[in-house]
Amino acid sequence: MVGMLNRRSLLAASGIGLLAAGLPGRPFAAERKLKIALSNSYIGNKWRIEMENLFKAALQMEPYKSQVEGSWFNSGNDVSQQSQQISGLIGERVDAIIVNAASPTGLNGILHQATERGILVVSFDNVVTAPTAIKVDTDQFQFGKKLADFLVEKLNGKGNVIMVTGVAGTFVDKERNAGADSVWKQHPGIKVVNRYTGMWDSSVAERNTAAILPSLPKIDGIWCQGGTDGVLKAFIAAKRTPLPPTAGEAENGFRKFMTGYMSQKVDGLSIGQPPYLVLVSLELARRILQKSHPRKDITIPFPFVTNSTVKVGETVFPNLPDSFFADFTDSGADATVKICVDAALTGKACEGKLDVRLPSQA
Amino acid sequence: MPPDAAATLAARPQRRPRAAHVLGQNIGLVLAAAILLASAVVFTLMFVIQQQRLPGSFEITSTVNNTMPLAVAAIGQTVVVLTRGIDLSVGGVIDLTNALAAIFLAGSPLHMIVVSILVVLVGAGAGLVNGLLVGLGRLQPIVVTLATLSIFQGLAIRVLPQPGGSVPAGYTNLLVNPDAPTALIFLAVAILGWMALRRSRLGVELFAVGNDEAAAVALGVNALRTKIVAYSIAGALYAVAGLFLAANATSGDATTGNSYTLTSIVAVVLGGVSLFGGRGSAIGAICGAFITTMIVNILFYAHINPLYQAFYEGLFLVVAVVLGSLIGNLLRRRG
Repeated sequence: MVGMLNRRSLLAASGIGLLAAGLPGRPFAAERKLKIALSNSYIGNKWRIEMENLFKAALQMEPYKSQVEGSWFNSGNDVSQQSQQISGLIGERVDAIIVNAASPTGLNGILHQATERGILVVSFDNVVTAPTAIKVDTDQFQFGKKLADFLVEKLNGKGNVIMVTGVAGTFVDKERNAGADSVWKQHPGIKVVNRYTGMWDSSVAERNTAAILPSLPKIDGIWCQGGTDGVLKAFIAAKRTPLPPTAGEAENGFRKFMTGYMSQKVDGLSIGQPPYLVLVSLELARRILQKSHPRKDITIPFPFVTNSTVKVGETVFPNLPDSFFADFTDSGADATVKICVDAALTGKACEGKLDVRLPSQA
Repeated sequence: MPPDAAATLAARPQRRPRAAHVLGQNIGLVLAAAILLASAVVFTLMFVIQQQRLPGSFEITSTVNNTMPLAVAAIGQTVVVLTRGIDLSVGGVIDLTNALAAIFLAGSPLHMIVVSILVVLVGAGAGLVNGLLVGLGRLQPIVVTLATLSIFQGLAIRVLPQPGGSVPAGYTNLLVNPDAPTALIFLAVAILGWMALRRSRLGVELFAVGNDEAAAVALGVNALRTKIVAYSIAGALYAVAGLFLAANATSGDATTGNSYTLTSIVAVVLGGVSLFGGRGSAIGAICGAFITTMIVNILFYAHINPLYQAFYEGLFLVVAVVLGSLIGNLLRRRG
């Protein structure tokens, strides 16, 4: 799959190179495709795999198919290796590099060199601090706030809530918690009876919840940064049913509960850090290179579903594992991007054109 | 009358020609250099085929600059491995010194020099702790340094909880000039330092302790002191690696050093340094460090499926190590 695509372009490139060896200038300068490369760090979890699959799928769909020549690289969480790969991309004289970085600061040196050589750098998800890099991200404070707002509304501002937090010491965890706390402060009727980490991992969240539940009073609402399906399973195992209103991440398992699963149905709000950030980055890079978009950072809204908007086969998939991230696509009328599930699962192209809507320039 | 030294030497039957002897003694180094040369040739060929030009100043400079931290760390690891030890705390020391550098470096040139020296001293202090535990405590190096690895990593996070800080541009230009491979000068200095060490009393003692500690002690070598000094020198070198890493990144991250624990051992092994101690050269380890970067470069231009990249990296390493030891054995038997 990957090899084929690359080998073909490689053969084509070397073939053209041989033909053109005696000719001056670049033979395909007139309608040259934009060279856009994805430099990813860690690839060991579902989110990153879905993200990379979306990128591969997009490259086989219009308008990217005819306008962009893409490539992708993983370095693991090894900064020097990612740095060396980016050096390689600079050597290949790509037009743009899209980066999900192994370190927010560790690549600043090499990325600075890339921008100095006129290469556009777009960083997303684990964004870099290099000032010359364009950043595409979501607002993590809003993430925590929206989840909390949902619970306040469902509980009419009164009740016991647990907070299942993320990986301590990360920027994202801190921001999400701060977002939630800003809401609790305005609603003194809401009591946070416990706050423990789920490590953004369903099995850890389930284990920690199971351990802590016996000591807790009746829970009226669950606020969960990640591993939501695990938390709900622990509630069921402890016979704390019916399940309380739950605000959580975009695990397919959680959304299954929202549509009815394990003979339970939960009233929920599901928000996610979408893997399609990579598609937004790709689109932004294409638009900036074609000079139809200013060089500006963008923040995209989170994709979210509630019980009234969640849709089987579109934003929840009964046949897929609970750990699948169901937010590979946006939904609704103002969707940032809509893409089929095969793209996230296998990296295959979907039917039709891929339309990525960048936030309007306000 | 004492026997005439020259006469006795001449009378002794020569076991093998001098060139073969030197080759036999330095087989690890020679093989490392050969693998490095071969990988550089493969890389150049792939580059020319795809880019229709020779690797230029940028490619050479970025390869050198990206390899500098590993090359320096590998020298430190070599010194420890020569004493029949192993140092897993590399990553922690680099994390810590890298974090310190990112926070405190900014300032006047004099300030930068002072801070750099202090950071190197912190590294040496970390190494001293390892050396004392290994030497005085008579503990297994792998256990000691695994424990101190976590301790230094923890300290690094305390120093720099979130990636940040900044390294002045002048400092970056001095250590890892992005426009020319001037960092090679530092490598040359390191190699000269190694050659001096090799010929010094301490150098002889390092090899002696690694080859046969009991025999070395019987001959009057202070094994305890030798080990403590070895770990301290290594710690100082890891700190230098941390400074290079900070200069290259232009800022700090208290976790970016972690990968150097394993890669420094890989570089040492590729460099023909025996993990059983007493045999090897820091120059080989430097070659080993550059080989690992070359492997990344080659895989980059091979455009293999990124998902299998780690697999191929491992494969390259195994092939290189197995080939190296096979050829080494063959040559030694013939000699």
